[in-house]
Amino acid sequence: MRFKFLVFSIFLFFLFVSFAFASTEEGKLEFPSGPIDDFETFVKVFDSKRCAECHEDIYDEWSKSYHSRSMVSSIKGIANFFTVGVPKEWEKELNKQEIIKCLDCHLPQIKFATERLAKEIADYMIKAKIGKGKEKEKAIEQLKRINLSCYGCHNIKIAGTAPGITGKIESGVIYTAGEGESDAHETEHTPILKRSFFCVQCHGVYIAPDGESTYCNTLSGSYVHSYIGQGGRKTCQECHMYRKNRGHRMPGGHDLEIVKEGIEFQAEIRAFRYGIGKWIPAVNVEAFLTNKAGHRIPDG
Amino acid sequence: MVLEVTAKDHNNGKVLYQERRTYFEIGLDLDGYMRYGAWQIKEIIDLTLQPLETRHERFFITFPKEVSTVDLEVNVYYYISSKKGNLIYQEKRLLNYED
Repeated sequence: MRFKFLVFSIFLFFLFVSFAFASTEEGKLEFPSGPIDDFETFVKVFDSKRCAECHEDIYDEWSKSYHSRSMVSSIKGIANFFTVGVPKEWEKELNKQEIIKCLDCHLPQIKFATERLAKEIADYMIKAKIGKGKEKEKAIEQLKRINLSCYGCHNIKIAGTAPGITGKIESGVIYTAGEGESDAHETEHTPILKRSFFCVQCHGVYIAPDGESTYCNTLSGSYVHSYIGQGGRKTCQECHMYRKNRGHRMPGGHDLEIVKEGIEFQAEIRAFRYGIGKWIPAVNVEAFLTNKAGHRIPDG
Repeated sequence: MVLEVTAKDHNNGKVLYQERRTYFEIGLDLDGYMRYGAWQIKEIIDLTLQPLETRHERFFITFPKEVSTVDLEVNVYYYISSKKGNLIYQEKRLLNYED
């Protein structure tokens, strides 16, 4: 009896996976519209490799980005929130509502995780920080497999800033800044992807649906009120994507090349003898640092 | 980010002067205590370099009378994390006070 149940369960699992990946009758990629409870399915369904078959160059760029490491690069901060912030300081249960306060940006597809799967992912984050030995290694390996994927920006987060304008986001539709068409998926032209307004939803103070604010970084406030206010007119995308064909690599504060582009330095040095009659060695240094970026430096 | 000016006696390497100007944000909780947790921070003290701003830092340094040559360095470090500072700009000068 147990064996039959096991076989039936495996059959159901593969049936679900095949629906989740596979192409529709018209040969189009499908993405889930309902909850996922299994980690392996969750990884595979949202894996950016699915997009690489047609968009290899963009996939390669993205692979070098921090977006591709959005979970594994933030273990310390997120795990602290899960182990200290929520349970000890707020005295709340670590449930999906709290988990999503980090993962809405670090893993937007968390929206499709069941309560149980969200807790499993949170547990990997905790073990990756405080676990030992193989348990810690396994947790880190699991976190490397989930990230801000193509689907995160090109579908899930599209409605994140202006749902009144963008309307309901359809699962399986790929929203792009370009105007091309694809046989592999439904495509909808979405100019919002070219605007700083799109990046702001995660690269700034995050306000959760329950009103809680999280100061992960403050870039967007600085961009809107300081840079734009003083006459700056570039978008995030102009510096972090279009310049030097950076594309989906989107380098930021972790990349010294773009850091240096954003800061200009000049030093004037004049040695002389100070005092009248009892001259002593002296020097005057005048240093000039100019912030050429569209936001405060440093931030975050 | 840190701007650091260091002057050393060229003859013996002794540090004669060192000063740092640091550009950073300080996160505060609602009671005014400095915090690191993103969930704890509700206000900031903003000591960063603002967009399109040129910050002009001025240093006037005197040395002991007997010093004859000085190695002067002006370094700019960018901290990707709080532990690791990367040197992104450097200006070096040998100052000669010999008659």
